Amino acid sequence: MTAAISVTGLTRRYRDHTALDDISITVGGGTITGLLGRNGAGKTTLLRILAGQEFPSSGSVRVLGASPAENEDVLRRLVFAREDQAYPDIKVGQALRAASWFYPEWDSGLASSLLDDFGVRANRRINQLSRGQRSALGITIGLAARAEVTLFDEPYAGLDAVARQIFYNRLLADFAEFPRTVLLSTHLIDEAAALFEGIIVIDRGRVVLDAAADVLRGVATRVSGPCLAVDALTGGRPVWERRRLGSQASVVMVGPLSPDDREQARSSGLDLTPLSLQQIVVQAAAGVLAPAPETGFETERTCA
Amino acid sequence: MSTWVKVARYDLVRPANYLMLPLLLPFAFAVGAVTARHSHEAAGYLISFFIYFAILGMQTIGRSLPFGLALGASRRSFYFGTALLGMALALVSGLVLTALQAIERATGGWGLSMHFFRVNYLLNGPWYATWLTSFVGLFALFAYGMWYGIVNHRWGTLGTIAFIAAQVLVVVAGARVVSFEHWHVFSGAGGSSAGLTALGLTGAVAALAVLLLASGHATIRRVTV
Repeated sequence: MTAAISVTGLTRRYRDHTALDDISITVGGGTITGLLGRNGAGKTTLLRILAGQEFPSSGSVRVLGASPAENEDVLRRLVFAREDQAYPDIKVGQALRAASWFYPEWDSGLASSLLDDFGVRANRRINQLSRGQRSALGITIGLAARAEVTLFDEPYAGLDAVARQIFYNRLLADFAEFPRTVLLSTHLIDEAAALFEGIIVIDRGRVVLDAAADVLRGVATRVSGPCLAVDALTGGRPVWERRRLGSQASVVMVGPLSPDDREQARSSGLDLTPLSLQQIVVQAAAGVLAPAPETGFETERTCA
Repeated sequence: MSTWVKVARYDLVRPANYLMLPLLLPFAFAVGAVTARHSHEAAGYLISFFIYFAILGMQTIGRSLPFGLALGASRRSFYFGTALLGMALALVSGLVLTALQAIERATGGWGLSMHFFRVNYLLNGPWYATWLTSFVGLFALFAYGMWYGIVNHRWGTLGTIAFIAAQVLVVVAGARVVSFEHWHVFSGAGGSSAGLTALGLTGAVAALAVLLLASGHATIRRVTV
């Protein structure tokens, strides 16, 4: 798989803080990757640099094989839909018409149909739109541009659940027909989890997790039930979190479960719940995940 | 279609500002006709048309830049595409001013002996000189407005104040030098500046426009949105 985005040793310093600190990531072409992290983690700064709207302090950034900064060969093949996009005082239809001039693969039919789905009228002035409607406009431009690299930064801020589902459905449908590289930053992790092939988690300017979504989905399991039975199953294994309430315990155990583990859990009356992507990201942001899984985890017993 | 032309089209998507141009002239003319009934010298009101070009340049950068870059234009293309639009507007507006000046001459000042489009020394020569001087002056102001808008976008209010203060310092220092050296920059009798003809002054303003354009480009190169 060829890398559509390749970042090496990227650092962005501002006067009083470091937004990105020696970041290195690779995003394969034709994938949808989630860019996750807390507020102020550095996601938007990274996306702005990828889109050529911001400059790195140091490091190398390659998009479609070249630096995006002031490079129109790259920029015309890239679209960046961001939550806080500032628009001139124009109408929705005028913004879409302008976008159609810049993107060679622009699909006017898709743009109209998306506006209909989101309930946004083309003759409305953008500065009169609600926050959700402005997000819908950003999504419409991002999808209808059919750019080889599509960057979404919190694209559905202010959108209701129905509109968000429309976005997921339309993104997947269009992606299936016109594969491209999508990097999507979001806080609604579990809601969007099914979209992602890869996950990148940034915290305080550093990459704390960069893995395939499928690998992460089975990486940890919450084991709940009688304390002694929980200890019997999880004893000696890496653990992220332990809770105990009376004779009951709940432990997040790292690593895959074997058929024997499942049988032992069933016979002991234990509940096994795979950790959701959001829970894994929370753990990653809390610094629990380390490069070597065996190091840094608790292994003591809960009921001792 | 080159990106410069796409940017110029994008700037025109918001037509309200540009539609002000044809409205501004008759308004300034009407004010001039009423207030300068006795002196017949209303050319000072024409300056509002020129100043509006600086405002246009400033607004185009301030309002259109973030979405322009989001559409995949580079800073360089956005800048020169916008300058291209300013140049086209200045060319057409200069032509309109030239035509109106010819009508003013032919009608004896609109039947009122009025001087609105005939500005002593600057815009009072043959048609091509009027066109060239108007075009160069309008474009220089547009380029100045763009630079102003970029400074404001890049460094905010404090930066803009520093920018204005620096210009005031340059002007004051220049005036002090001229006064100290007893140079005669403006000759009242001949109505000329620093011994230049109107076309010579147009050349100097053209050089200034190139300088403004280069300064604006140097400033926009590191703008972030």
